[in-house]
Amino acid sequence: MSGARFRPDFRLWGLLPAWVIMGFTLILPIGIVVLVAFGTRGAYGGFGWGFSGASFQQILFQKGWTEELEFNPQYLEIIARTLWLAALTTAICAALATPVAYYIACQPPKRRAALVYLVTLPFWVSMIVRVYAWLIILGNDGVIEKSLRAVGLVEDIDSLLFNNTAMLLGMVYSYIPLMILPVFASMEKLDGTLIEASHDLYANRWVTARRVILPLARPGIVAGAVLVFVPCLGAVLEPILLGGGKQMLMGNLIQTQFGGGRNWPFGAAVAVVLMALVMLVLMINALRTRPAGEAAA
Amino acid sequence: MTLRRALLSATALFALASAARAEGELHLYIWADAIAPELIAKFEAETGTKVTVDAYNSNEDLLTKLQAGSSGYDIVMPSQHFVRIMIDEGLLENIGASTLPAFAQVDPKWQKQWWDDTGDYSIPFAYGTAGFTVNRDQYQGPVDSWKVFFEPGPELQGKIALLSYPDEVVGAAELYLGVPFCSEDPAEMKKVLDLLMAQKPYVAAYTSDNIENRIGGGEVAAHFWWDGNSMKTRANDGAHIEYAMPKEGLVGWLDSLAVPKGATNLDNAKAFIDFLSTPENATIQYNYYGHASPVALEKDKMKYTPENAPELFPTVKVEFSRACSPAAQDLVTKVWTQLLQ
Repeated sequence: MSGARFRPDFRLWGLLPAWVIMGFTLILPIGIVVLVAFGTRGAYGGFGWGFSGASFQQILFQKGWTEELEFNPQYLEIIARTLWLAALTTAICAALATPVAYYIACQPPKRRAALVYLVTLPFWVSMIVRVYAWLIILGNDGVIEKSLRAVGLVEDIDSLLFNNTAMLLGMVYSYIPLMILPVFASMEKLDGTLIEASHDLYANRWVTARRVILPLARPGIVAGAVLVFVPCLGAVLEPILLGGGKQMLMGNLIQTQFGGGRNWPFGAAVAVVLMALVMLVLMINALRTRPAGEAAA
Repeated sequence: MTLRRALLSATALFALASAARAEGELHLYIWADAIAPELIAKFEAETGTKVTVDAYNSNEDLLTKLQAGSSGYDIVMPSQHFVRIMIDEGLLENIGASTLPAFAQVDPKWQKQWWDDTGDYSIPFAYGTAGFTVNRDQYQGPVDSWKVFFEPGPELQGKIALLSYPDEVVGAAELYLGVPFCSEDPAEMKKVLDLLMAQKPYVAAYTSDNIENRIGGGEVAAHFWWDGNSMKTRANDGAHIEYAMPKEGLVGWLDSLAVPKGATNLDNAKAFIDFLSTPENATIQYNYYGHASPVALEKDKMKYTPENAPELFPTVKVEFSRACSPAAQDLVTKVWTQLLQ
């Protein structure tokens, strides 16, 4: 603190590279997306320089099949569906990751390191390969069907692929490490004596988990929820490969508009809305955790 | 406009800087696995040129890349309607295609067609159709009409898959309904939507990846697909599948070799196009790629013939996709967005 006060120059110049990198790789691209969203549309993709709010209007109002402009909630439904899927994935990840993280945190240090390593292991393999693996597991004559048949439980079942359960399974599988790690990080710091104290005060296991462990792990769960929720909003792979792509999500919608739809400004407008939603989530999170953190301190 | 120009000139500067090092190089941006690796190695050995290959999976990817300017590529491989768009948008180099030796090898019926009517920009490379394939272990019925696919009977219900984007799928629906390609009439496109909506309850998936396994392994019984891919999966992998010849027709495509505007290795690009179009090399390419060739081949060395690869020799009408106006394209996108609602 004092060093910074005496040498403000160093703070400025020392941080400059970070600001330049942030500016060129984060802020500038976002600025371009916003610019395109307000631009005019090129006939064969691309965009023109001109100010137009038409793309944002299109999210709410479109021409019906009889050519008149009408309120059409179809894009709102896509947005709502995307939010719902992301929220559901986050909730399932949190429910599954908390006991796992607690279990890891309770292990002796050596074993703990090995388990954390195992959790991070899937990141070493490409996401696409991991999703394809589920095709082999769930598919027709796949691992599950074959094993069920081997133990004589079923004769011949329909494919387990291409439904919402398969999609959700894939999403939870893809993103759960992002939940386990931060929850583990906060569980690791958990003071064992607090749990003992809780038992001394006649709290049973359930009450201890609910009143002591969970509140203390909350920062980790919140951080994990953000890490899972945000990428889920843009998921494309799992919905198409495992869910069968029967319902559009924001990721596919944006992809379609920039690709075959050849309507870049509209694609950019949807991307801006997606970005705004992500920022909203992060801001609510920041507002909610700050008072709690201060209260705890 | 000025900002755009400034950006363009900045990228042009970078391009110039790298051009100085570009002696004896050739950069291809082509459909994934489109050119026989054997031919690339042969060209490198013969000419000493270093060839790099990047791949794309949709015409839109290619168009987007060229629109961004200074892609750094010397040869691209757009489909017919995208050749037209790219010429109109000034994205292709006039290579005087009709004066190249390669042009003489092209079957006259593919020369100077509507997508390149002056014959200045492109040399046809491969062509084929999009239709549907059925798994014969799962489905034994007839495949002589799109009705089988779009209005499936009980045997195919729940066992149908389409592509994850509208291009050829909407085209096929239009063929079935007798709606012209690129229709700007909302009432006609509403009929297309109604047809696809009625089919949707029986569709297992809308996905363009991993089609070989899905249809070959019987995960689904009918899949929207391309002729050559279906043929190779049947002939080379022994899948029990059949590519349908619906009486309403198939959706045609033809990929051409073209040179993006501002390519740095123009002479190498022309040499490579001529190289690929000699009967000897075109035959090697044909045997590798498994799609029909618009250039002359060595008949006795052709691996795929009408007898062993009927997929490549359609017996029904073939209608080529066109470059739609923005209004028509919007209707296509609208059909697709509402379908996946």
